[in-house]
Amino acid sequence: MYRFYTTLLVFFAASVALSAQSKTLTLLDQNTHFPIANAHVLDPSGTVITTTDEAGLFRVNPERNSRITIRSMGYLSSTFETAGLDEVVFLIPVVFEMDKELIIEGNAEKNNNIHAYQHHATHQDMDRFLDNIDGVSMIQRGAFAWEPAVRGQSDQRMNLVIDGMAVFKACVDKMDPITSYVEVNNLSKVKVDKSGSNVAENGNGNATVNIITQKAGYEPFEMNLETTFQAPNQYQAYRLHASGSDSRNIHALRFSGSYKSSGNIHAGNSTEIENTQFEKLNLNLYYRYNLASNHSLELNYITDKAYDVGYPALLMDATQALADIGRLQFNFADNQQPFRFTTAVLYANTIRHSMDDYGRDVANRSVMRGMYMPMYGETRTFGAKLNGEAKIIRHDTKWFFDAFTSEAFGDMKMESLDPTIADMLVYNMDEVHTRNISLGLRQQLQLSQKLNLKLDKSVRFKSVQTTSENYASFFEGLYNRELNPRNRVLLSGSGSLLWMINNNWSLSNTLVYSERMGNHMELFGHYVYNYTDGFFYDGNPWLDTERTINIDLNSTWKTDNHSLSVSVFTKRFFNYIDGIVSEDVSNNDFQFKQYANVGGALMMGGELRTINNISSKFRLENRISYLYAQNIELNEPLPLIPPLHGSFLFTYTNRNNLVGFNLDWAASQNRIATVSSIEDKTDGFLVAGINFQRKWLNNNLVTILELNNLTDHYYHQHTSIGNIPQQGFNVMLTLRYSYGQK
Amino acid sequence: MKKLYLVLRSTTMLTILLLLAVSCKDTDSTPDLEVIPINSVTVDGVTVSLFADKEIETGANDLYWKVEENGNSVEIKSFSITPLMEMATMTHSTPYKNPVLFEENENYHHNMAVFIMPSGEMGTWAISFEIETMTGKIITGEVPIEVNSSWKLTSVRDANNDNKVYFITWLSPQKPVSGNNDLMFMVHTRETMMSFPAVSNAELVVYPYMDMGGGQGHSTDFTAPVAMGEGMYEGDINYSMSGVWTTSVQIVMANDTLPEAVFEYSVLAK
Repeated sequence: MYRFYTTLLVFFAASVALSAQSKTLTLLDQNTHFPIANAHVLDPSGTVITTTDEAGLFRVNPERNSRITIRSMGYLSSTFETAGLDEVVFLIPVVFEMDKELIIEGNAEKNNNIHAYQHHATHQDMDRFLDNIDGVSMIQRGAFAWEPAVRGQSDQRMNLVIDGMAVFKACVDKMDPITSYVEVNNLSKVKVDKSGSNVAENGNGNATVNIITQKAGYEPFEMNLETTFQAPNQYQAYRLHASGSDSRNIHALRFSGSYKSSGNIHAGNSTEIENTQFEKLNLNLYYRYNLASNHSLELNYITDKAYDVGYPALLMDATQALADIGRLQFNFADNQQPFRFTTAVLYANTIRHSMDDYGRDVANRSVMRGMYMPMYGETRTFGAKLNGEAKIIRHDTKWFFDAFTSEAFGDMKMESLDPTIADMLVYNMDEVHTRNISLGLRQQLQLSQKLNLKLDKSVRFKSVQTTSENYASFFEGLYNRELNPRNRVLLSGSGSLLWMINNNWSLSNTLVYSERMGNHMELFGHYVYNYTDGFFYDGNPWLDTERTINIDLNSTWKTDNHSLSVSVFTKRFFNYIDGIVSEDVSNNDFQFKQYANVGGALMMGGELRTINNISSKFRLENRISYLYAQNIELNEPLPLIPPLHGSFLFTYTNRNNLVGFNLDWAASQNRIATVSSIEDKTDGFLVAGINFQRKWLNNNLVTILELNNLTDHYYHQHTSIGNIPQQGFNVMLTLRYSYGQK
Repeated sequence: MKKLYLVLRSTTMLTILLLLAVSCKDTDSTPDLEVIPINSVTVDGVTVSLFADKEIETGANDLYWKVEENGNSVEIKSFSITPLMEMATMTHSTPYKNPVLFEENENYHHNMAVFIMPSGEMGTWAISFEIETMTGKIITGEVPIEVNSSWKLTSVRDANNDNKVYFITWLSPQKPVSGNNDLMFMVHTRETMMSFPAVSNAELVVYPYMDMGGGQGHSTDFTAPVAMGEGMYEGDINYSMSGVWTTSVQIVMANDTLPEAVFEYSVLAK
């Protein structure tokens, strides 16, 4: 009996003690003092601890979670020290994200409100998903692996990362943009920083697209099966993902896989486009382990295998594109130290790309006639990222440390049809190493209740070299200089000022200064064929740093049911890197260029985005983008610049049914590059599509029927290399079954 | 115990001395040349051996001579040679230099010879020599050699000057690889069957080209060779890829341009 009472007393005392450790807090709108419901309360690793109820109430244990971040759509996310919190916590209403990033959820259904950016259309792949973002255009070489360009800047002038990891394509002809390595069923969201203002994080002030993959949550088992068929191109896709965690929320696991294949696409007027087929397998495994100390560990592995990928715009097709991408991330438990770590990431990836033209008629083509040209490329990258927070001169500062090393190789064999001509071999890249280390700092200053200033700065050391003496000697001979590793210290910075004019209207202004060293292709590429201008390019290790100044203005107006966002920007390039003709070795069959600093360039443009929830059933989305880009020295437009274009989407939702009608349009592009490239003008187009979506079986089964390009219009986008047309009329049916999903 | 200590000390000392001796020997030794034996003859107890860095071929050859008596190197006061090709109707020499002491390895004498014809049905080659030792001993003899055919030598005739023949020797790169290579030529002419003076006052117009089949091809980056004296012309050539290349060479003399000569050869990837 004594033992029973003792146990009861201890249990009671413990309960009281535990109860005393938890706080009940109320979350309110700072202006209206109305409670904020359904706000997410996160720990420093980003894991949701709890959500607020209808009265804005939530509980938190200060000993377990000394710092929390509260997020709610329409409010400025804020981080608090829980020990210092009173009973009431306020969030500042905002109509614009201070970090200037567009965050596009991978799953449209998660954010069906006015603040959500998501374009409410279904997407069969990442290419179409990105193509629907205003300010983003896709450079196309066929029906597969489109290359994203943000405000006309692609490849070396933008950062394209997966979960923040540097991944370098292996194909010197840009057939394998890394967007192809993440499937939409493994996509959590895409962060698009058009101005590059998140300098501390991206390291260089370039426009950035960060593809965030899905993570396993601490939820019961759930599974999703999906299959899609499309005609007439015989596209088929099978997707699966499953995730779950144990009852103690220590282990969480997520697996996703997809297989898809396609025959040749059919453009308008039932025109079959040869060499547009592909086949692709993608697997992703994610594991998270929560340690007792509140630290956690994440492990992620993606493998992507594409085969028989046709590229009608190019001289050859990809026979194999293999990617293996691994990441190990440690999330630190929260602590009160003035200098603390948030996450530490180690990652490694390798990309291998093989292509050939054995299936092409090489005897009758105009370029590289009468020979087969099998090519191989490979990159290997190892990197580490370390993020944290620190108190610097009484200001909370986020810091980002980033380091990686990457090796690139590429070669091309030439096998003449003429038996008297011996095989030839050219190295496009040989033992080319890129090493990068950077430190970025970010501070946010609340200048007044309505003025917020964000300052980002970054210092970066970058080194590019080749360790092959033979390969190095080529550049030494070409430029008659002794070649040493090319090292640069690069500085970048940005300032973003946000002015909350009232609860619905904000103005922001961002200034970004960026320094960019040429990438490994611009410095050490050799004999690389550029399909946009028909020249073979040689790198130049002695390129000067390209510098840019970007000014970005945004005004956003939002009410509960309507939003209007207008952005305009201008970007001035100094020491712009481009190719100049090498006349001494060029002839009618082979024309060569070398990279050089050619002077200045200018880009200006803007985006308009409106979303209107006319009623609970009707929704309108409208997006318009325009870009003006000029090579100042040549006084002609820059190449591959999309014309004025946009999209319009109307959706009607009634219980389990959704009907969507979309229009995609573009004006003609008459501003073309004729000196720096060989472009032709592109006609405007307007294509319409319609889709029907119905949920069945208590929303567990979803069917989507899409009818695209209803008028079977034959057209191509200006950024389609070789004027490869888009699909004509096509029908796509998707079946999706979910088990255990909320 | 004391005995054991003495044995150990003696053994240690011996080992140290042995190591010192080995290391001293290594330090003093002259690095061996990577050469292959071509032929040797023994005259009056003196063995004259000819070596080369590769099988002797038409074009330029580095020749190495070793002169030994009873296995010891013979100190040489003077060394002269005359390469001769015996043909059915005539005998002729070729451009060459006399051997001098090879500074990198004083066991050898070194010279360069440009063989203008290969051995075969047309005739045979031999190098006659005359050596005077420090002791005043004169050694004369002849070393027969086999000259293989190669792509590294060609000749053109000057139709405007009594069909005077010019020999163009591809001196470098001996093994062309993709990337930058020193490009060196030697030019000689023939005054008599025994005299082949160097031509140092010409301008060489060169053009590298890769025939890729199908009627297409391209050149590559290069620096035209310029005269460096003693018939040598130096520039560089930057092969963009491996495969079969041609390089045409045209000799331009004062008021006279000779016909084009073409070298065809393979460039290795690495």
